[in-house]
Amino acid sequence: MGYVAARGGTEAIAAAEELVCRSRLQAGASWLELDQLTERLRYLNDRVMGEGGLWAPLLAARAIRQAEGDVIEAAHLLRAHRSTLPRLCELIPADADELRPLRRIVPAFREVPGPQLLGRTLDYTGRLLDLGDEDQARAAAAAATAAAAARHPGDDPDEYDGATEPPFPERLLDVLRRTDLAVDRRRGDDPEPTDISQVAVRPGIGRSAVLSVMARAETGALVNLWYRNILGPDNHLHEVTLGEVRHGELPIRVSHPRTGNPVLIGHLRATEVEAIEDLDGADEDRTRFDVGYGLVAGHNERKAIAMANLDIALHRDRSDSGLEQAVLMTTDGLDASGFLEHLKLPHYVTFRSMIERKQAMRTDRARNERKGRRQHTAPAVAPAAPATQPAAVAVGEVTP
Amino acid sequence: MTVLDPTVSPVALLAADTSSRELLDEFSKREIRRAILTAVAVPGYQVPFASREMPVARGWGSGGLQITLALVGPEDTVKVIDQGEDAGVNAANLRRLIADTTGVDTTTVAGEATIVQTRHRVPEDELGDDQILVLQVPVPEPLRGVERNMTELRRMHAEGDYARMWVSLYEDLVRNGVVTQTTGYPCLVGGRYVMATTPIPRWDIPKLHRSAHLSLFGAGREKRIYAVPPHTDVEPLTFDDVPFEVERTEGAGCHRCRAGRPDSGVESFLVEIPSTDEGRWVCSDTDWCNRRLASATVTR
Repeated sequence: MGYVAARGGTEAIAAAEELVCRSRLQAGASWLELDQLTERLRYLNDRVMGEGGLWAPLLAARAIRQAEGDVIEAAHLLRAHRSTLPRLCELIPADADELRPLRRIVPAFREVPGPQLLGRTLDYTGRLLDLGDEDQARAAAAAATAAAAARHPGDDPDEYDGATEPPFPERLLDVLRRTDLAVDRRRGDDPEPTDISQVAVRPGIGRSAVLSVMARAETGALVNLWYRNILGPDNHLHEVTLGEVRHGELPIRVSHPRTGNPVLIGHLRATEVEAIEDLDGADEDRTRFDVGYGLVAGHNERKAIAMANLDIALHRDRSDSGLEQAVLMTTDGLDASGFLEHLKLPHYVTFRSMIERKQAMRTDRARNERKGRRQHTAPAVAPAAPATQPAAVAVGEVTP
Repeated sequence: MTVLDPTVSPVALLAADTSSRELLDEFSKREIRRAILTAVAVPGYQVPFASREMPVARGWGSGGLQITLALVGPEDTVKVIDQGEDAGVNAANLRRLIADTTGVDTTTVAGEATIVQTRHRVPEDELGDDQILVLQVPVPEPLRGVERNMTELRRMHAEGDYARMWVSLYEDLVRNGVVTQTTGYPCLVGGRYVMATTPIPRWDIPKLHRSAHLSLFGAGREKRIYAVPPHTDVEPLTFDDVPFEVERTEGAGCHRCRAGRPDSGVESFLVEIPSTDEGRWVCSDTDWCNRRLASATVTR
């Protein structure tokens, strides 16, 4: 294999790479094991899988470690890794009704079908920086776990492990539909979910693609778009109430290559949200509610809520104001960050071209001013010849 | 170019291949090649494709990289430049990625390359009909300055409605005395589609016009591929009485190879080395400059 010894750049990037690698591998601290990321930084791990569009907890942990905690960089590593892999089959679309809930709340009603299940959440934990003795805290936690195990032998007392058997709780949307309080948004024109990694999405694409884009979007980007609709210039959200907020495990199945039967190949955790919007617009069906849908990989409630809300906003906008284009084209973390950071690349050819035009403008102005002065002093004179050499040549004269 | 054996199930073949170091799987390469063929068939039209995530960030040449990786085969020789330079950090990084993952030969000499991947420049050497120029495109939409809505943009291209582009050029001329568009000058390709010429300088645009080589434009972030096939018209949008102007600075010449000086007989795209005394200039195409310098030394 030939390799060109182009000077300068190659040595510099190799040296930078070595510096990164050495510092990462030899930092003056104990090695970060993958289980510390998957178990202790689970929100981070989930977010990277969600934005990376790949459910692979250990690979995500490796990516986070390699990216030294940079979320978008880690998501990039996952996606670039996925590009190297052939796509061997498609999953059977999962039925969200099969989500085995680890947590489930319904803010819209006090008494709902199925449990209100607070689960493992920080929602009602005081945001106080815990400066207590951590050794003592760990000892106390171990004792509490042992006591719970003694009370309920055979159970894993650490975490509520969800409703283990179907039927899982009926969703609020079912109740609303039964009582004819929800507009029916189910549609027949988008039967197969669009795989956004296989097509270039653009405005006008089906709802499944829009939902997929949001599911893979950068969390902050969706939150920001949501807030623009609340306090910013956009106004596509009015009175949203959350129906369902669920976090749980979703069974994943493929068709058996020989028999064609569905085969369970594993689970992924997902966060699912139904957002109920009061249809209070002038031309809207005020006797009913609209329900938006959000589903994201991993435990990421704020992203799923933003997504469900924006699903409604997009429907309401009907791609009139550019919200659809904003969601489809500007919320991907890799796209936005990559383009932003590309400004660090050398730009001296384009910059030279910009300087040249500024100089050409000045030359032109100076010429006009001189012409103006001459005309002022000697108005009868014929148009003056250009005072300077033209700053450019016509196309035909270029000799590359 | 990798060819799949038709007697073996592609899925079985691909699933079994765990030794590959390639950055794109074969299915992805096929899809990119199909988009390239469409682009060649409809010059200047932006063909959507399912752009993959590459080991370089979006905006860092991921589109050009995908085209090169989809085309490159064992007999190819690749040249990679950024700003005309082979040794720049970004060019070096992309060259390293391409060479390490495909095993292809690389060169800095434009005439030796079968594929030249570039950001912001077209080599000063004239390319031949056995060569492909792959341009990295940050913004493929030439009309974005006059229209932001993508649905409307599609309509404008479909109907060849470039009126607002002409109006904006006219307004530019009236307000500023000259057309101030710098790099990426909009061009009409094959008399049909207006195309963004990446941000290559205006200097390079005549090199795309009726050229012998194929030019492929890859925009990874925006998921578009477009092409200028050989011997296709690439006409900068300008008015009959306002000639298209390329970059040129009076009195400037390369301080190394003297290109651009009156006695040299040749010109090249020059970049400036900022200095307090007189402006110092150097060729942006470093390899072309080096070769001129070497031959001049020999002659002397």
